[in-house]
Amino acid sequence: MTHNLLTVTGLTVDYTSRSGTTHAVRGVDFAVPRGAIVAIVGESGSGKSTISQAIVRSLAEGGKLVGGAIEFDGRDLAMLPERALRSIRGKEIGFVPQDPSNSLNPLLKVGEQIAETLRLHTKLSKTDAAAEAVRILDEVGIPNAAARAGQYPHELSGGMKQRVLIGIAWACTPKLVIADEPTSALDVTVQRHVLDRIELLAREHGTSVLLVTHDLAVAADRADQIIVMQRGLVVETGTAAEVLGSPKHEYTRELVAAAPGLSSTRLVAREVNIASDALTLGFGAPAVHDTPNILEVEHLTKTFVLKSAGVATSFTAADDVSFQIPRGSTFSIVGESGSGKTTTARMVARIASADSGSIRFDDDDISDITGDALRQLRRRIQVVYQNPFGSLDPTMSVTRIVTEPLRAFHIGSKAQRAETARALLSAVRLDPDLAERRPTQLSGGQRQRVAIARALALGPELLVLDEPVSALDVSVQEQILQLLVDLQAEFGLSYLFISHDLGVIRQVSDHIAVMKLGRMIEQGPARIVMANPAEQYTRELLEAIPGRRSA
Amino acid sequence: MRLLRQPGIIVSGLIILLTVAVMLFPGVFATHDPFEGVAVDRLQGPNGTYFFGTDHLGRDLYSRVVYGAFLSLASAGTAVLVGVVVGAVVGLLSGFVGGRVDFVIMRFVDVLIAVPSILLALIVVASLGFGPWSVALGVGLGATGSFTRIMRSQVVRVRNEEYVEAARTLGVRWPSILFSHILPNSARPVIAYAALELGTAILAVSALSFLGFGAQPPEPEWGALVSAGRDFVSTAWWLSVIPGFVILVIVLAVNRLARAIGENK
Amino acid sequence: MKSAGTPPNRFVVALRYLAPKIVQFVFVIWATYTVTFLLIHLLPGDPLLAALSVKGGDATTTDPEALEVLRAQYGLDGSLWQQYWGHLVQALQGDLGTSIATGQPVGDMISRALPNTAAVAVLALVLGVLSSIVITYFAYVTRWSWVRNTLLQIPPLGVAIPAFLSGLVLVSVFAFGLDLFPSSGSRSPLSIVLPAITLALPVGAIFFQVFSAAVLEAMASPYVFTATAKGLAPRTIFLRHVLRNSLLPSITILGLLIGYLAGGTAVVETVFSRDGIGRLTVDAVLARDSNVIQGIIIVVALVYSVVNLLVDLSYGVIDPRTRAKLSGRSVARAKDEAAVEA
Repeated sequence: MTHNLLTVTGLTVDYTSRSGTTHAVRGVDFAVPRGAIVAIVGESGSGKSTISQAIVRSLAEGGKLVGGAIEFDGRDLAMLPERALRSIRGKEIGFVPQDPSNSLNPLLKVGEQIAETLRLHTKLSKTDAAAEAVRILDEVGIPNAAARAGQYPHELSGGMKQRVLIGIAWACTPKLVIADEPTSALDVTVQRHVLDRIELLAREHGTSVLLVTHDLAVAADRADQIIVMQRGLVVETGTAAEVLGSPKHEYTRELVAAAPGLSSTRLVAREVNIASDALTLGFGAPAVHDTPNILEVEHLTKTFVLKSAGVATSFTAADDVSFQIPRGSTFSIVGESGSGKTTTARMVARIASADSGSIRFDDDDISDITGDALRQLRRRIQVVYQNPFGSLDPTMSVTRIVTEPLRAFHIGSKAQRAETARALLSAVRLDPDLAERRPTQLSGGQRQRVAIARALALGPELLVLDEPVSALDVSVQEQILQLLVDLQAEFGLSYLFISHDLGVIRQVSDHIAVMKLGRMIEQGPARIVMANPAEQYTRELLEAIPGRRSA
Repeated sequence: MRLLRQPGIIVSGLIILLTVAVMLFPGVFATHDPFEGVAVDRLQGPNGTYFFGTDHLGRDLYSRVVYGAFLSLASAGTAVLVGVVVGAVVGLLSGFVGGRVDFVIMRFVDVLIAVPSILLALIVVASLGFGPWSVALGVGLGATGSFTRIMRSQVVRVRNEEYVEAARTLGVRWPSILFSHILPNSARPVIAYAALELGTAILAVSALSFLGFGAQPPEPEWGALVSAGRDFVSTAWWLSVIPGFVILVIVLAVNRLARAIGENK
Repeated sequence: MKSAGTPPNRFVVALRYLAPKIVQFVFVIWATYTVTFLLIHLLPGDPLLAALSVKGGDATTTDPEALEVLRAQYGLDGSLWQQYWGHLVQALQGDLGTSIATGQPVGDMISRALPNTAAVAVLALVLGVLSSIVITYFAYVTRWSWVRNTLLQIPPLGVAIPAFLSGLVLVSVFAFGLDLFPSSGSRSPLSIVLPAITLALPVGAIFFQVFSAAVLEAMASPYVFTATAKGLAPRTIFLRHVLRNSLLPSITILGLLIGYLAGGTAVVETVFSRDGIGRLTVDAVLARDSNVIQGIIIVVALVYSVVNLLVDLSYGVIDPRTRAKLSGRSVARAKDEAAVEA
């Protein structure tokens, strides 16, 4: 019995489409020892997911294995005919896919989807397979397994669906399980439990696991071996201690520095490049009052009524929320999905209306203003959205997008606005050559810079940022966070920063508030909340940050 | 452009260009008088003098097809134009305003779609009298329903996009949002559908002419040509098959280009 | 905190789902009648005179008294409003009026013609849908791309070919030429084959566009990847996972297809000299017989709406997600339980 269960040599994968050929994987070597957990870490475009698909020879449309050997338990998977591969897939190699919401057939019961793989690869009868499926559901930690087995995927939460997928992967006790970003779509606390479960199953059954992830901290926590990839090539391999403690490659060092779970300090502001005075074209008069707080929120409440087939359920999104934001500081709200943090942010930005409570901005009550007064308020409170793909109009050029607020308030001539756009783009460190591009031609990080430039155009005093970096690659995240910190220092901005990721919040916040199910359960200065949380839930959130084991 | 490299698109494009030329300048392409026949040459098959053969009155089928191009295609084009303009305006209104107005308008659109467009066209034709323009109006009326639905669903989709909400928070007013954001982002699928509808309209118009409701003889409208040739289908098959085949080729070309527009947004 | 209601009993749930659909059904029929009536009476020309002049030519009577009698006979007397209500009430009682051209009750004419058309339409639908599914199956399961590309060229052809052309070609080749099928008439059961094939081409092509798009979407979806990763064979994946998920959105166009068939039969019945709704409509338009036209439109709208209603109902039965939405069970409740992890 060889020491290595899986040995990959010289793996090369190309994708061919109408726009040309992309070399996604360019000659990759690595090995997975028996019973070990190996993590492949990389950002988007690194080729890590392609590798996981190539091993089971299920590449996406246009993908082709052009070279290399995949030695699995004595056989070269790259050479096997399709028929033989089918008896390996599911039976000797299990696969846990990334997106639990769409990875289960919506029309089949959950138990049946596990039983299907059992019937295919083992000699179990229909009834035995069904019973075994229930046992597996139990083993992956789903309460009420027997009842759940008869339910459809849409009746389960994201975390439970992922567990079902884990169950499917382990059903026939495979030798290797490939888990492709198994937790990226889940809440932080759920992520931790799912990864725990994977580790447990691996140790119990002696399964090797190939874990594909973008999160270096997760890899550090869970894997015996880490393989770092960049643009189709392996740049570094080693144990967690080696890779984190003494990274040899430049890129690895970047990743280690950028990983929010691993770094623990608040970012320090650096210089912002102000190209010309034109930048402040749209800036209004500075604040009138000098109250210490730019924003004061008291007893904000919002209830939604959901109607489904005539049955009305009321749902309290925000429940008696109160907080203050001192001028020039960053106030962060952290919470998982359904915590009410986004609803609170939208109420502050006066996009959504509150049912009760008051909002004071710069000592003016803005809770009920409408019409032109509300529109004028827009010059002082701006929003940066989470989704860089959705918040920019795909038919407009960057310049048009950035100058739109100036046009809306009839500020400046066309030439002046163009000059201001250039200055703004330079301030957000975006290459001026991109000014005439459309959003579809930009990367996620570039789009988010455009969104920030647009938000700055009118010279706001308060910026509401709703998960501004969650959709970005880790290294890009760090750049955008640094940019935000720099801009804050330069322009005296106050931030209301919303995120589910405490690791990110740790880097930018002065004050932190924790929300759960609509209530603000804890708030205080960042250092104190992080070091000495008063609430159990906050402690859970902190513990769920990957990377603590190796910090 | 990458588009031009595919052979199907090049061929389709050439066919369309040729068709438009024939439509606008029939005199250049025809070889004989489409209305005057030489009795002695009746019912000849396709040959060197008469490319598509002759009919029972000795008229050159080729020239008749050439002169029929304008009649057959212009009414289809008009039908689509009617459908797009009316449908786009109503759909925009319905999707943008929303609420009760939207609900009422969409219920009437349901009705327009419930009645098969040929039958709808027949009612219009029955009331207004036969002829290519009644047919055009009737087919256009039928198409309006689909266009309204598509435009409205696009407007509703765009209205809910994050960049529209972002524009509101930037202080942009609704009229600007309508023209700068909603229209440009809704237009493309509608245009792609219009291209597809052109093919359908050509078929509908020629079907109605075939049934006798379009241009009246001796006008050489293509559907009418096929119908006239029915009596001779076993002896002079070219009289029906060739005009029908011409329709087929043009519709194929139009559809191929329409698909290309739809895929290449 | 959430306050979920107790799940209501099944009957109430079904009613809540059905009620708006039934209201819509009634509305569409009523609105169709209204729109047709308006079109016939508001467009220039007097319906009665138009029909009579076609029938009698120059010998048409212009004597006002005689005309009044005729008007009463065909229900075209009185004000517009009276005619509208009169026809509506009559129709609800099952009387669709009298044909101006033939003098027969419209209801009788339609019920005689309907079975002929229905036979062809149903066969065309079945042939079209089945062949679409088969073509799609082979196109996506095959390992050779040339097979896939060839198969995928068939539907665009089916859409583009004019029904009168394909009908004529089929008649010449198979009826006159090879003498396999009757070329006209509605007597022999074989007579429905050629017309059905003629209509199956465009119907199948339209269905194919929707169905294959759904299949394409399904094949690219994550749950098909999961199925592949389980080691299932392509045939099993298509039949067990892809087919049902693709058919679901595809059956929504069934109503549309019925509408298309209703229009297409006009051409096909003319080409094949069959009796049916299509021929009836064509004759009625040629004779400017507004009563018959109105009656046919209403019947067609009825059929279309019934089919749509049935499709909606079947969704409630087949799709578990629709079933769940109906009973108001909140998915979020599942989430609460999950928070208590072992």
